[in-house]
Amino acid sequence: MNQYWIIVAILLPIIGGAFIPVLPFARKSQMFVYIEAFVLLTSGIVWALIMGGTTEVFHVVHFVHELSISFKIDGMTMVFAGLISILWPVATLYAFEYMEHEKNEKGFFMFYSMTYGVTLGIAFASDILSMYFFYELLTLVTVPLVMHTLKREAVLASRKYLYYSLGGAAFALMGIVFVIVYGTTSEFVFGGILDMVKIGEHAPLLLWIYLLAFMGFGVKAAIWPLSSWLPQAGVAPTPVTALLHAVAVVNAGAFAIIRLTYYSFGVDFLQGTWVQYVVMGFAIFTIVYGCSRAVKETHIKRRLAYSTVSNLSYIIFGVTLMTPLGLVGALTHFVFHGFMKICSFMCAGAFMHQTGKSYVYEMDGMGKRMPVVFGCFAVSAMGLMGVPGMAGFISKWNLATAAVESGNTLAYVGIAGLLLSALLTAIYMMSVVIRAFFPKKEFNPETIKNVTDPTWKMCLPLIFCAVSTVLLGLFSAPLVDLFTKVSIGLY
Amino acid sequence: MNIIMCIMVFMPIVGAFLSYMIGRKNKTGRDLFVCDLTIVEFVCSLLLVFSAGSSEKILFVIPEVCGMGLQFTVDGFRAVYAAIAAFMWMMTTLLSKEYFGHYRNRNRYYLFLLVTLGATEAIFLSADLYTTFIFFEIMSLASYVWVAQDEKVASLRAAATYLAVAVIGGLVMLMGLFLLYHQAGTLQIDLLHEACQGKNVYVAAVCLLVGFGAKAGAFPLHIWLPKAHPVAPAPASALLSGILTKTGIFGVLVISCQILMYDELWGAVILLLGVVTMFLGALLAVFSIDFKRTLACSSVSQIGFILVGVGMQGLLAEHNALAIRGTLLHMVNHSVFKLVLFMLAGVIYMNLHKLDLNEIRGFGYKKPLLAAIYLMGALGIGGIPMFSGYVSKTLLHESIVEYIHGMEAGEFISAFFSAGDMKLIEVIFLVSGGLTLAYMCKLFVAVFLEKNNDAVVQKSYEERKNYMTKCSAFALTVSAVLIPVMGILPYATMNRIADMGQSFMGHVHMEHEVHYFTWTNLKGSVISILIGAVVYFVVVRGFMMEKQADGTTKYVNRWPEKLDLEEVLYRPLLLKIVPTVGSFVAGLFDVFTDGLVVFFRKTIYRDSPRVTELEEGNEMTHALGTFLNSLEAIGNCFIWKENPRKMDFEHWFALKYSAFKENVSFIGRSLSYGLILFCLGLCATLIYLLIYTVV
Repeated sequence: MNQYWIIVAILLPIIGGAFIPVLPFARKSQMFVYIEAFVLLTSGIVWALIMGGTTEVFHVVHFVHELSISFKIDGMTMVFAGLISILWPVATLYAFEYMEHEKNEKGFFMFYSMTYGVTLGIAFASDILSMYFFYELLTLVTVPLVMHTLKREAVLASRKYLYYSLGGAAFALMGIVFVIVYGTTSEFVFGGILDMVKIGEHAPLLLWIYLLAFMGFGVKAAIWPLSSWLPQAGVAPTPVTALLHAVAVVNAGAFAIIRLTYYSFGVDFLQGTWVQYVVMGFAIFTIVYGCSRAVKETHIKRRLAYSTVSNLSYIIFGVTLMTPLGLVGALTHFVFHGFMKICSFMCAGAFMHQTGKSYVYEMDGMGKRMPVVFGCFAVSAMGLMGVPGMAGFISKWNLATAAVESGNTLAYVGIAGLLLSALLTAIYMMSVVIRAFFPKKEFNPETIKNVTDPTWKMCLPLIFCAVSTVLLGLFSAPLVDLFTKVSIGLY
Repeated sequence: MNIIMCIMVFMPIVGAFLSYMIGRKNKTGRDLFVCDLTIVEFVCSLLLVFSAGSSEKILFVIPEVCGMGLQFTVDGFRAVYAAIAAFMWMMTTLLSKEYFGHYRNRNRYYLFLLVTLGATEAIFLSADLYTTFIFFEIMSLASYVWVAQDEKVASLRAAATYLAVAVIGGLVMLMGLFLLYHQAGTLQIDLLHEACQGKNVYVAAVCLLVGFGAKAGAFPLHIWLPKAHPVAPAPASALLSGILTKTGIFGVLVISCQILMYDELWGAVILLLGVVTMFLGALLAVFSIDFKRTLACSSVSQIGFILVGVGMQGLLAEHNALAIRGTLLHMVNHSVFKLVLFMLAGVIYMNLHKLDLNEIRGFGYKKPLLAAIYLMGALGIGGIPMFSGYVSKTLLHESIVEYIHGMEAGEFISAFFSAGDMKLIEVIFLVSGGLTLAYMCKLFVAVFLEKNNDAVVQKSYEERKNYMTKCSAFALTVSAVLIPVMGILPYATMNRIADMGQSFMGHVHMEHEVHYFTWTNLKGSVISILIGAVVYFVVVRGFMMEKQADGTTKYVNRWPEKLDLEEVLYRPLLLKIVPTVGSFVAGLFDVFTDGLVVFFRKTIYRDSPRVTELEEGNEMTHALGTFLNSLEAIGNCFIWKENPRKMDFEHWFALKYSAFKENVSFIGRSLSYGLILFCLGLCATLIYLLIYTVV
């Protein structure tokens, strides 16, 4: 397929989104059809592109010499672009109903659609500078979405998000400069691009630089101590928290760390050094930290956000194992967690939308009034817990076996962390499910008799994600096969 | 064969959802459908039993599903247990029709009942531990709904305990699987023994033991049984106790007979665990005054007997035929006993909706059928000759005696036990047997022999003739009759079961045929009966019954309320200490980041004004000023009485401070200007360097 289509895929949602405020729509439904149409079209193009297999690098803009904006399709691109191009149309459909009662819809959908293009840009970027360009753009384009309600806490949250992200990006930039200076090329090559001759005696310095860049990109991947923006950003409308703060933005952070570790510095350079232990330690700590916070949190969206913090570090833990198997585990969770977490967030959003409530203790007996929503929530909860037969089990299995195989002593601590976190996940997710389906006796069903399931626009995305969680759990082999090929550099 | 296995596992799971859909339209149709389904399941399992012995090794693989693929196999033991599971499900479903007559949420119950059936069959037929684990988790989660079925406070609390034990057990088991897979390279049960040779797999084995032991109800994770059984619907209790605990034992057998076959240390650990569980469960049962709770504690105790058998297998090593056969037969027997007894509890409960011994007292008076059914179960579990429990207990007892004789003759040398220790274990074994009789006797006397304290209630009990339907009576009687039949004809029935199943636990060479009805073997039983009689009259009649003012007696709960492992240890630990410490630490680390941010902000920026701001100056000048002012006032009082000083130090300091601040802000501004220029310069240099080096 012609490589120019990559630019089309990236620009189509950006331009399409930019036109939303100016186009004269007679009715809201027209706008919805328009948005869904170009989002679907983009996803179609993306799938056609990644089905076409890997491509050579394609330069769009040259700066000086080797610095350019350029794209290519490789295994990682397939994984990330494939994931978001499935979830974006689904979440957009969900957003239509959710946003009906909110003000300033047009502005919201403009930025929402533009984010799609920018995220695709990250996925398709073929060198570290192009990725960084889109990575910064992603921060800027998502700030208005967090700020959407313009309430005090929304403004505060978006300010915090901005500070953290820009601060992180500054660290990341430092790493990028060093990679470009000490590398043979600036493109992503599996196995790393560092030029050992140029490095010479500077290897210890470069390890420090890796740590800085890791933490820089780690802001978006919500690694402790840079994670506190994520729960606060939960004030954004649910489609944003569901899609961006559970999948697109945070996965972009994890994606960048994978690119940095496997495609720029290279695992050969990093493996066994102190920096590997440090970053793995951070990942393990974050896994437990996120869960512990989630257990005590009563606001449903913040609880899920803490859960995201913890789950993202599963991915990072897999990455920091720095073995092919570790990458397989990381990628499995990268994709599967997306489906599970977007499902649980959308269910929480549906609950908030239908009842106007947002705390866990207000969920008593809701399962009987909203069977579809809480049925899907139960499925996603079991998925996150890692119940066999669900997607989460496969990814945790892959991660833990990779950890055992790596023979790294710290990795054993990591497995203990994974299991402890699975226990805590069971507590904070199942307590919601049990509350919804088995209310306490003093609960009076009359008080919520007007609550019903939302319409098909909201239910369909939920059901889609819940069914995917089960199907991915049962028939994961083709995907895991793809991940394995990616992890040994075949794609 | 593959098709039968496939049907047995997946038909109930698919059927579960069908029954749910049927149930929304037509309740009788649903009941019929579920009954038929369990009957088909039983027929399939019989086919499996009859073809299991003949054919060669069968492996049925469904590749790639659930990650690593599912593997099923069948051998004698698996076939026997698949059949018992199907039998129990069939019988309890027959009873369920009447028992659940007036219940709400029956659709939900049947849905999860059938899912659990499929999962349980899958566990017994699984060929690798991965498959076992997957269905084990599904079984645990699905059966949670049984316990929570009636949604009362006590049920939800018990269900939470059940779920917690299941989840924690499952996770520890998973950890064990990771370790085992890493060391052995396979999880296929048949290959594990060879793969684990010469490797230190104790850690993995202990992890697996925690997971499987929790489900089996071994001490100290037995806590869910006494809580969950009394609140669960009776047909569900029968299954929980009769068959779900056996899935745990299945796992323990895999560890003991494959991974650590003939391992003496392992045998000793399991034996001690079994002894504690056996005695403690029996003790709890004696003290309980709730019908179903007594049965639940009895389950714990009987699981202990089975574990003793498993432990003896490890100690006796190549000579463990007795222990193997005893373990296997006691598993089978216990399933049948608990099926009968819990269904009987169900009959009592569906008539009275009560289980407290003082309230159900006298219900069975003049109900000969019910009494006969109870007696068959009770005498069976008590190990009375001519009932099936006698055979299995004798075998277990014999295995201990054999070991003691072997030690005395110098055949066995144990690093862990002396002959005296083993004799103590034998005594505990016999005492536990006695306790079993005592608590069974307690229930029998209370329900079937004594009359209720309230004469009106007693009259209403005696008038109740249609206390169960024909269908329920059929289910109970058929199950109960099995016990004496097996006990009277052990050679034709039980020996055959043992012959079929024993190969699962290793290579068995029977050195000599066991003659069950000889004096040596009867002696153990007689001792137990005597102990039981003493315990019953001294403890139950003497200690647990209280005379009331009107001359009647009443059962009282003498077990100290504080002595509850769950309330004392597990709940505070898991619900209070761990989350509090966890969130405290996590919160501390949260503060760390924010504190760092605030710290940096304070060093770089001026803080925004506070709400309670001073009129002028800052806190320091205020404090200093007021201090000097008060000194001045004191001085004015004592020293400068004539011409008091009137200087306001606070204002003076404030003025000095503002002047100082102005200077500082000048410096600060120029410094930050300088810094920003420096920054820009640095950036420019960096970009220049970048371009320069790239060029």
